[in-house]
Amino acid sequence: MTLLTVQAVFYYMAAASVTSAILAVTRKNPVHSMLWVLALFLHVAGIFLLLGAEFLAAVQVIVYGGAILIFYLFVLMLLDLPGEEAGPRFGAHWPLAAAAGLGFAALIWLAQIEPLDLAGAEAAPAAAPMAAEGPPLGSLSQVGTALFGPFALPFEIASLVLLAAIVSAVVLARRRAAS
Amino acid sequence: MIVPVEVVLGLSAVLFGIGVFGFLARRNIILMLISVEVMLNAVNLSLAGFSRHLNDPSGQVLALFVIAVAAAEVGPRSLRRGSLDLLPTRGPTGRRSDSVFHIR
Repeated sequence: MTLLTVQAVFYYMAAASVTSAILAVTRKNPVHSMLWVLALFLHVAGIFLLLGAEFLAAVQVIVYGGAILIFYLFVLMLLDLPGEEAGPRFGAHWPLAAAAGLGFAALIWLAQIEPLDLAGAEAAPAAAPMAAEGPPLGSLSQVGTALFGPFALPFEIASLVLLAAIVSAVVLARRRAAS
Repeated sequence: MIVPVEVVLGLSAVLFGIGVFGFLARRNIILMLISVEVMLNAVNLSLAGFSRHLNDPSGQVLALFVIAVAAAEVGPRSLRRGSLDLLPTRGPTGRRSDSVFHIR
């Protein structure tokens, strides 16, 4: 693929992500919202692929699109969907919320409008070609080496967080069954 | 880098703003939490963009941790809403008390 094609694909993914995110937060039917959020997750996974983060893209599809979204859909199916659709979708304060969202986006935009002068930018310039030896960026071996090397402690803490989630789910389910 | 890193960060900023709007404006608790997921995706996007820009895998590892925490919070949060085992006792058309699911 030529560079132009790849750029066109990127801008398509970006436009589709923004569109599906807007639709996801504005649709009245919660199931429609959920499906638009699925489209957002898949397009973000495509952007990850274009950014050279193949393993992250795979995890995005498997965990977000596969696990998290299915869980939300299960919870939604237990709701009273016609009742949800009958009520107003936004609170009365939604202009304030829109202002807050625009403000946040503008703030992040202004923060990066200055030329990026990061500490490591000179050590690893943006246009630097990949090192000839060693695995490419985003490959499983490079991510795994970082995960079990400098990030070993956060990795263990993440496993503790997941363990706490499992234990709390068991406790909450048992308490509800007992009552 | 196929596109400038500023473009990726701008896309991330727009997605984060949409998520903030959804979280503050929606009245359904599930859709508010979905808006949080949109915000987390925006942050993951900027992490991946920085990782590409600096040619450093640390950003991708941090994005993996964000995904792990997002996966860990969805289970207990849904159970806490009490909707998983209330269904058999109510009929399929039984109307649940709205105060649990709405911010009013």
